[in-house]
Amino acid sequence: MKRNILVMVLLVMVSASAVFAASNNFGTKKRMPRPEEFGNVVINNYSEKNNIAPVVFKHWIHRAKFTCRVCHVDLGFAMEAGGSDIKEADNLNHLYCGSCHNGKDAFGPTTREKLVSEVKNCDRCHSLDKDVKGQKSFNEYLKDFPQARFGNRVDWMKAEEKGLIKLKDQVEGISIKRQAIPNPKDFDIKSTILGMPDIIFSHKIHADINGCELCHPEIFGAKRGVTKYNMQDIFAGKFCGGCHAKVAFPFYDCQLCHLKEVY
Amino acid sequence: MTTALPAIAGSVYDGVFDLPALPEPARYGNVLISRSTKSSTHPSVSFSHWVHRQHYTCRVCHFELNFAMKTNTTEITEAKIKKGEYCGACHNNQIAFGVNDDTCVFCHTGNQGATDARFPELKDLPKAQYGDQINWVKSLKKKLIAPKQSILSDDYEPIPFDKVLRLEPEWSGIQTKAFFPHLQHTAWLDCADCHPDIFNIQKKGTKHFRMDYIKNGKFCGVCHLTVAFPIQDCKRCHTDLK
Repeated sequence: MKRNILVMVLLVMVSASAVFAASNNFGTKKRMPRPEEFGNVVINNYSEKNNIAPVVFKHWIHRAKFTCRVCHVDLGFAMEAGGSDIKEADNLNHLYCGSCHNGKDAFGPTTREKLVSEVKNCDRCHSLDKDVKGQKSFNEYLKDFPQARFGNRVDWMKAEEKGLIKLKDQVEGISIKRQAIPNPKDFDIKSTILGMPDIIFSHKIHADINGCELCHPEIFGAKRGVTKYNMQDIFAGKFCGGCHAKVAFPFYDCQLCHLKEVY
Repeated sequence: MTTALPAIAGSVYDGVFDLPALPEPARYGNVLISRSTKSSTHPSVSFSHWVHRQHYTCRVCHFELNFAMKTNTTEITEAKIKKGEYCGACHNNQIAFGVNDDTCVFCHTGNQGATDARFPELKDLPKAQYGDQINWVKSLKKKLIAPKQSILSDDYEPIPFDKVLRLEPEWSGIQTKAFFPHLQHTAWLDCADCHPDIFNIQKKGTKHFRMDYIKNGKFCGVCHLTVAFPIQDCKRCHTDLK
């Protein structure tokens, strides 16, 4: 009984302090991530529990080589950090990161036996708060890429158009090649607020890197108009915000979507 | 000119809200940045908003260059400036004076009044009652100043969103409303400077949006205490106030 009360008191204290912390942040501007931080994700399902630094996954390195679809559809990565619940054994079994990071297609994880001598490779991913040598330098790697205003400050679409990057849409042994479905037409999304420009949504741009299956039917229903959402939902990380708050160009740049002239 | 004038009393609401004291006009919006100079022998950096806002809109620094909205919270270092980040985006010897041994003292003055002598530069701009006593909105509208809209995009144009919000009082017995014109703000700022971090975009969706919080630096107070016209100028928002 006493223990129950103690637990209750602790719970109340924890939730009260959480409310206090949250209440202090309202009405002010949040820190905007620096270009090299944008899209970086910390994965810490098991790392710290096993006394190893959490993984810092950098989207920018990977998106310069692969479409989003490869990882988020074929390899089954969740859309939230830690959502895939990846274990070391998964990677050693060639799942998730291990699909490419197998020592052949990309540097591999060292096995337990080799850990002492080849500890370097662990550090390349388990890198939170470490200065890891041998990683690509963000500024060096992207210095000639076309500029954007926010996010990584890189216009990834233009970079692909210009041939600076060539994105692979298949991973050998995992992806199954199917005949492509022709892209549905681009369409306008009417703004519900007078004076806000409408959105022009390009299926082609999205389908080229996401396929259909990354968005449909879970995030957006397959029929137009069945999914109701508004900008506040997007700000909260839903719908377009599933990508466009964290990895794809951030919603700071309104006119990249709201671009249809208002008459 | 070392003694700051006392707060310019003039508003009967000063007492009600215990408004923060204002510096003399030439010092309004001047900040001393001491984030990394604190641990060195360098004097802190004096930055004057009114010097810069004649030439650049707020969004250029506070969005494109990622300057935070609170003094000393931006992660500025000398190395980053020399690489072209933060101040170095312009202070590169091309757009504005660069960073070298001769120019250090231009910014590292340790003196909040370092730009006092230049204040007469603003003498032809329309007047306001408080703060730096310049009506910047009118100055921009009359094209007396032409601050740059963006330094990262040549053809940047703000969305011409001209909705005026009418904010009803939530205190019983108080009748004055506040009017918020979007257009005067988007001339200087990106939508995302305010949305969604500071203000939610749902009608009445912003919690705790109250005058006492504004006074303590939240919501409108992020800008309207230190740089934009100060909240002593009640009637510019509460236009129906008698």
